[in-house]
Amino acid sequence: MAGPMASGHDSRLAVDFCGLRFSTPLVLLSGCVGFGDEYTRVEGFSHADAGAVCLKGTTLAPRTGNDPHRLAETPDGMLNAIGLQNPGVDALLDDILPALDFSETRFIANVSGSTVEEYREIARRLDDSPIDAIEINISCPNVREGGVEFGNYPEPSARVVAACRAVTDKVLITKLSPNQADIADNARRCLEAGSDAFAVINTVAGMAIDAGTRRPVLGNNRGGLSGPAIKPVALLKVWEVHQVCKPHAAPIIGQGGVACGRDAIEFLIAGATAVGIGTGLFYDPLLCPKINREIAEYLDEHGMENVAALSGSLEWNE
Amino acid sequence: MNRRKNTAAIFAERARVVGQQAFDAGQYVLKLHAPRCAAAAAPGQFIHLRCAADLPLRRPYSILSADAAGGEVEMLYKVVGEGSRRLAACRAGDELDSLGPIGNAFAPSPERPNLLLVGGGVGIPPILFLAARAREDAAANYTPLVLMGSEIPFPFDVTDSSLPFAGVANGTRATMAALERRGIAARLASGRGFAGCYRGHVGGLARQWLDAAPPEQLAATAMFACGPAPMLQDIARIAAQFSLPCQVALEETMACGVGGCAGCSVAVRDDNGGIAMKRVCVDGPVFNARAVFG
Repeated sequence: MAGPMASGHDSRLAVDFCGLRFSTPLVLLSGCVGFGDEYTRVEGFSHADAGAVCLKGTTLAPRTGNDPHRLAETPDGMLNAIGLQNPGVDALLDDILPALDFSETRFIANVSGSTVEEYREIARRLDDSPIDAIEINISCPNVREGGVEFGNYPEPSARVVAACRAVTDKVLITKLSPNQADIADNARRCLEAGSDAFAVINTVAGMAIDAGTRRPVLGNNRGGLSGPAIKPVALLKVWEVHQVCKPHAAPIIGQGGVACGRDAIEFLIAGATAVGIGTGLFYDPLLCPKINREIAEYLDEHGMENVAALSGSLEWNE
Repeated sequence: MNRRKNTAAIFAERARVVGQQAFDAGQYVLKLHAPRCAAAAAPGQFIHLRCAADLPLRRPYSILSADAAGGEVEMLYKVVGEGSRRLAACRAGDELDSLGPIGNAFAPSPERPNLLLVGGGVGIPPILFLAARAREDAAANYTPLVLMGSEIPFPFDVTDSSLPFAGVANGTRATMAALERRGIAARLASGRGFAGCYRGHVGGLARQWLDAAPPEQLAATAMFACGPAPMLQDIARIAAQFSLPCQVALEETMACGVGGCAGCSVAVRDDNGGIAMKRVCVDGPVFNARAVFG
């Protein structure tokens, strides 16, 4: 488990994620932290406070994303419809990755495409790069082609995973959509197709309406809901996917509305190995060290050896 | 090769409300004790405020003034939604999570010392901040000329000006009292027919001054504007017509405010004539008018 040094963290917080050592269970989520250096503008922010950082969704060619507005506040959360604005995989490989400081944290690429071939080609190019893992984004609700068109159904999801698996030995994390009938069945098919791990969940499809203009608030009309409003949905989905993953020891990044240490602990209990922080960073850019501290305090209070002992410790009511 | 990391220039502070002054039509000037933001703030930049614990997203407010010595910043805002409504309810001593200062700043050049500053509505604050800083910059010898438009009563004391403003009709004498005291020439515009104000859009006032300015004066002039999109578009068109450089400060809905989410991106022409998506929060909010409006 070579990797970034614990950088002063309580070693009980470190987790093993498919053989990758995360110095803390926290993962900064794709789409929330740009390509890795944006939050360093904030004094006191450090990537070392997270076990891994997931870079913004990347497609084969550059994309300009959706028209404004791209954001709408909702009760206890927000809708976004960015539409995968990104500079394309060549810029990721040539300009962004060489500049990232891999001694601070792990970096995960997030790949998205309109066709199975596009996913495969991006994964192939990333195979020979310093990136620590690849997250397959088959659940972006904000693009017209691809994304959730694959992720809402087990068969096309598995096809995308198999295509990526064929061209890379990197750790493959499949980001699952909550907008489907049976997330557990999808996870099962993706495991069979070669997924090593899962990110559960992507945003929940939604819409905001301006009653004054009788139009959707978002330029894209529909968007993805995130924030504390979706936490209960996400907790259940993590537990459901964990039931599939447990026999295979496939880890989950549990995510959806984490805004404090207690939220993160709940995701770990539900079966997550690591916990994603996304919208919570918008509330408080210095959230990670606080959550790390609260998790350590919880371990003390409950006499637990480490975070791994907490993962999947849910006692289901019979 | 290691890409240089961003300099940590945005400060997360618990800002203490020093006080609020209410003006007509739901307008307020909020004074915050946020010393690290105050020490670094420049005209055009904004502060990102968590208006209430139960409102998840912060709101960006452009900075009206910054007093480094006193550690205080002022924001002028109008109540338009839940965030600003909650902000207006804050009292002296309350504390707010703040991030700031954020974004780039207006960049006047000593080569064009005549600064024609145009602010509309809630776009007025950075214009007044720029006027004050330009006046304080003894080395550059700037002459700020301020034009402001509003369709609601102006959020400051208005008085008649005795400072000349070339090209503007004699009846158009209304100005901001605080600017008049500092010797900064200003005029006001409104479609509402307020006494002493130019009747119409603020761009009409700008055009009057520009029409009257001799070529050598135009060659020493640059324009700076903040306000609603139609006003900025009008100002950009006027600047292009008179071949003047023009910087505009934009507004957009924001989430992170530090460049992470791309929620505030707008399409801007790059140097090669292509379209690039730029984030209003950290690539802006100040842009070249030509890049935004063509």
